[in-house]
Amino acid sequence: MVTTTTRAVNAIFHQFSFARSVRHQINMADYKEAPLATRPRTLDPNDYFNLSQEKRRADEERAALRANLKRQYLTQLNNPSRTELIEDPALTRWVYARANPFPHFRPTFKTSLLGIVFGVVPLVTLYYIFKTDRDRKEAQIKAGTRDRKFNLAY
Amino acid sequence: MAGVGFRRWAQTLTKGRGVGISALLSGARAASGASKDSLPGPYPTTPAERAAAAKKYNLRVEDYEPYPDNGQGFGDYPKLPDRSQHERDPWYQWDHPDLRRNWGEPMHWNFDMYIRNRVDTSPTPVSWNSMCKQLFGFIGFMLFMFYIGEVFPAYQPVVSPAQERSDELFM
Repeated sequence: MVTTTTRAVNAIFHQFSFARSVRHQINMADYKEAPLATRPRTLDPNDYFNLSQEKRRADEERAALRANLKRQYLTQLNNPSRTELIEDPALTRWVYARANPFPHFRPTFKTSLLGIVFGVVPLVTLYYIFKTDRDRKEAQIKAGTRDRKFNLAY
Repeated sequence: MAGVGFRRWAQTLTKGRGVGISALLSGARAASGASKDSLPGPYPTTPAERAAAAKKYNLRVEDYEPYPDNGQGFGDYPKLPDRSQHERDPWYQWDHPDLRRNWGEPMHWNFDMYIRNRVDTSPTPVSWNSMCKQLFGFIGFMLFMFYIGEVFPAYQPVVSPAQERSDELFM
């Protein structure tokens, strides 16, 4: 499905590229987005070729939701007798959700693994690294083989 | 929080004797904004719960997709597309222009990561391969040249043979 649309877009762009020189041209239709980044909207075939009724109805419903929220916000904003801040329930929900994950926490393989990898392993490995390094240095000092250049007192 | 409490306390006192003072003493206060059912809850299991959650978050029922219930603590919070605020239209009249967000719009779980000072997921002008080649090529070249510089140092100090001999004594 994707190859047919890219071929169609390729055909549209090809008529502008045949007049150029022979050296290797980067055709915009061959654009491949970076991992985790998005595709520009002008190269998104969904934007050009998806003219179905379902998509339009969906867009209209989303616009209706947006317009309703806008109306609520502007009514509060332009109310001359308002003295307090306009509270945003979406913000409240976001803060609450981020601050209270524990009621929905369940110990599973993945969560236990994450807890061990990020909580227990650094603690234990750093303890062992520092302990062995310092014990080695202490043994060297006791044996007199360590080169101690910086004196604390003269 | 403390500011709101103080204001309400002051308002109650200044309302005069009788009703104001007794309201303060009884500890009753006006209901605050968010009620319990407008806050995030547990993962929705039935279609009715999904519809209610979609309505709560101001999303279409078809658009509402909760995070998978894997015990990581998301509850019924919606999984929005991982797009940064860099990608939003800079010319639209947003309610909060610096955040490019409208009032009441559902916020991404990682919203504070996707603000315009931080992670940017907008389309890159150069391809990934080209970026990798440029970055690692430059770093690799510099590392290689510094290594060559260690092996073949330039601009060594020039000393006479007599000074070299006397330096060796004090080494």
